[in-house]
Amino acid sequence: MDIRCVNSFISGLLNVSGMLGMSSMERKGLSKRAKLRTENDVNIIIGLVGDMRGSVVLSMQEATARNIASTMMGGMPVEKFDMMPKSALCELANMVAGNSVSLLEKEKVLVNITPPTLINGKNMITMISQVETLVVEFEGQEGKIEMNVATED
Amino acid sequence: MEGNSRIIQFIKATNTVFKDMLDLTVSSGQMENEGDSFVSRGVTVIVGFTGGWKGLFFLDMSQETAMKLATILTGEDYQSVAEEEVLLSCAEVGNIISGNATTAVNNAQPGLNIRLTPPSVFVGEDMSIFNVRLSSWSVLMQTDFGAIKINVAVEEVKK
Repeated sequence: MDIRCVNSFISGLLNVSGMLGMSSMERKGLSKRAKLRTENDVNIIIGLVGDMRGSVVLSMQEATARNIASTMMGGMPVEKFDMMPKSALCELANMVAGNSVSLLEKEKVLVNITPPTLINGKNMITMISQVETLVVEFEGQEGKIEMNVATED
Repeated sequence: MEGNSRIIQFIKATNTVFKDMLDLTVSSGQMENEGDSFVSRGVTVIVGFTGGWKGLFFLDMSQETAMKLATILTGEDYQSVAEEEVLLSCAEVGNIISGNATTAVNNAQPGLNIRLTPPSVFVGEDMSIFNVRLSSWSVLMQTDFGAIKINVAVEEVKK
């Protein structure tokens, strides 16, 4: 995958988390995986179509997800992972993907995104296309977020 | 187009794919409106749409059904649903069904130009799937090796 594309996604997430009051979010690690096996309970997936074809998945623990939802809603405590935090996280993923895609457009890479879908469950295994997945880790006060970008070139 | 009529091509495509590719007979149940979330049976394949439609297609089945499906496709027996070939088989079935269905829709409505994302597969326990602001329709398909649910959550993009 092109390095410019990776940077657009990293900046996309950092821009949006700053905008939503999660200014402590920092990029931690960058790695590659042949197959994605996530241990996180909450996954939000957004598809990419256009000059690049693939998916972006944000994955995190349920506690992190609740913390993020709480920050997004102005510090309102979030005890249960119900419709409200789910919808907040879908919106976060949508904003991250939207922001990244508009950054990509500046690099002359035109991409369209699908609406977000949130999947949560226990002992999850995921496989996002047959291509190598790039994993970017972020960490902030709210907890750890993993961004998985899988694109077919 | 009414929300529930969009699933018709997917029902047809599922029937064709199961009959021609897997040599299985399928009987389809009633269309149901599922709102914006549903609980998975264990294995979910997701394919996204962009272009004239914005939304997602889901193929949902139990882990046993997924393993049997993979066995029919590859001719091998599997012990666990986590084996890569099982996941790949499910992804491929989802890809073919959504590909067939969107080709039919694109041919019927030129200019719609629906495009697909690559399939993703999710396996887990007590999984629930949530689509924000998209209402979905689903049909339960009965096959010889268990039930498979197809779910379509789309909206037409206003030009």
